[in-house]
Amino acid sequence: MSAYKGSHILSVYATIDELIEGIHALKKEGKKKFSVISPVPHHDIEHELHPKPSPVRVFTLIGGLFGFTLGWALTYYATESYPLIVGGKPYISIPPYGIIAYILTILFGALATIAGLFINARLPEFVIKDAYDERLSSDHFAIQYYGDETELDTVKDILNKTGAVETHKKIEEIPQKNQFVD
Amino acid sequence: MPSSYNLSYTKTDADLLNTLKSPSKGYWVALAILSIGLLIGAYGWGSQIYYGMGMSGKNNPVGWALYITTFVFWVGIAHSGTLISAILFLFRVRWRAPVYRSAEAVTVFALCVAGLFPLIHLGRPWVFYWMLPIPQMGEMFPNFKSPLVWDLFAVFTYLTVSSTFFVLGMMPDVAILRDKFRGWKKKVYGVLALGWRGTDQQWRHYTAAYLFLAALATPLVISVHSIVSWDFAMSVVPGWHDTIFAPYFVAGAIHSGLAMVIILLVPMRKWFSLKEYITDHHLASLAKLMIFTAFVVGFAYAIEFFMAWYGGDIYKRDVFLFRAFGPYWWSFWGLFFFNFILPMLFWWHKYRTNTVWLIVVSIGVSIGMWLERFVIIVTSLSHEYNPFAWGSHFLTSTEVYIIIGSFSLFFFLFMVFAKILPVVSNWEVKEVIEPPKKK
Repeated sequence: MSAYKGSHILSVYATIDELIEGIHALKKEGKKKFSVISPVPHHDIEHELHPKPSPVRVFTLIGGLFGFTLGWALTYYATESYPLIVGGKPYISIPPYGIIAYILTILFGALATIAGLFINARLPEFVIKDAYDERLSSDHFAIQYYGDETELDTVKDILNKTGAVETHKKIEEIPQKNQFVD
Repeated sequence: MPSSYNLSYTKTDADLLNTLKSPSKGYWVALAILSIGLLIGAYGWGSQIYYGMGMSGKNNPVGWALYITTFVFWVGIAHSGTLISAILFLFRVRWRAPVYRSAEAVTVFALCVAGLFPLIHLGRPWVFYWMLPIPQMGEMFPNFKSPLVWDLFAVFTYLTVSSTFFVLGMMPDVAILRDKFRGWKKKVYGVLALGWRGTDQQWRHYTAAYLFLAALATPLVISVHSIVSWDFAMSVVPGWHDTIFAPYFVAGAIHSGLAMVIILLVPMRKWFSLKEYITDHHLASLAKLMIFTAFVVGFAYAIEFFMAWYGGDIYKRDVFLFRAFGPYWWSFWGLFFFNFILPMLFWWHKYRTNTVWLIVVSIGVSIGMWLERFVIIVTSLSHEYNPFAWGSHFLTSTEVYIIIGSFSLFFFLFMVFAKILPVVSNWEVKEVIEPPKKK
């Protein structure tokens, strides 16, 4: 589940102000194929990128509904397969089975949330294929831009002007075509 | 967390690494002592399995005794973690950031320890799977109308959700360790970080997942101990059959959990030099929360006695008189003193900012909460309806060994955790301090 999308540059910034300037400069040039890397989520970055609500919530909902259904189904099936009739009373009992359904709603809701995170965030990725700078988890920020080599050089210049302290470049290796063609 | 704190992103990372440097001699000595405690516990359990359940003080009528007392105690301890990590997160309480990781660790480790007690109590732990919702002979499942089955579901779900929340919360911090360390440590933390890079897309999904997990964990804080309380309240034992049991247990759980968090935080901030993160303000906030929970449990004690008198049930009334003036009077008055009277010291600023008093009161509350469960279980079972069936519980050395083992296991797990993973949530502390800016 790699997040790798091809050739890109990674421009590293020491401050959040310069990072925001970099985002502004890219927007001004009409360039949109970028992502931002930061040690913590930050409102200023969110304000610039206007992210849509994460689809993880759909996973949570589906997981919760599944757990809820499973809770009722399990208790119903268990009772039907071995009815224990006490005092002639109905053997399907709603309140205690509701407790099982409630707990399984939470359990499967939580498990589905984690699945939703991993699927959407492209995790786990045990070998990071993208360019990466070890300062980014700590106290630096970065803009990662995807494009072809010529475009990457232009973007690199734009970002350097806004205060990028270092730029890493990663060019996709295009597989050689078969040379022995008739 | 006040912004006047002199913290920066670089400093928080340096302090994080500082907590993980090679342990001192004192650490190893403490770990060795806890290992001896673990062996004592293993010996106690082993001898009980070998010689039989007669090694415990359980008898007829006191068929639930110290194991279930200690089980309820540990489940209770587990509650503060989720209160601090999930509920305070949903309410956007800023002071939770530096303390929640330790509180969450308390939850996970306390649940691990608690989960052992039903097995110890079983007598034949190798058939533990009979509790699971799988059909036995003739398609017969466990009885889903039994609170004990609800309990299994609730505790298992709580352990799963809180462990997930705990591990998920650490992912960005483990990525810092991956980037800071070299050699084999880099490889290990690299695997644990799962390839976290901190892209805006990862943060977008991560913060959403974190929020939903917090929202899912929050009802568990209320429901898990409610369900544990129904193990008692659903029966007809006088002193157990009370509608107040669920809120009473939840409040007590949070009360004891807060005490345990303070017991661990105070020495931790000293040993790891974390005074800039876990400040007097944080400890005082926890102490204030304890005043509130002390009042809730105090109110529950009063209501229980009031209902015993007002309800007109002679058996229940007798059990409550037995609790206060019978042979177990010391445990009843002990719990009242430790859980209600002692935390009142925190009304005074000097006590809630004095670490010695914080520890003393917290240890007192822990003892008090254990006594509370002892009183509920032992005094009720030993004094039910028929005077000819009354009895007593006699403490045995096996029970003492197993309880020593359980405390040793809890502190052992916490100490190991404190040296291999970040005890303070670095990324959430960074969220509440100023990011690096142009000068």
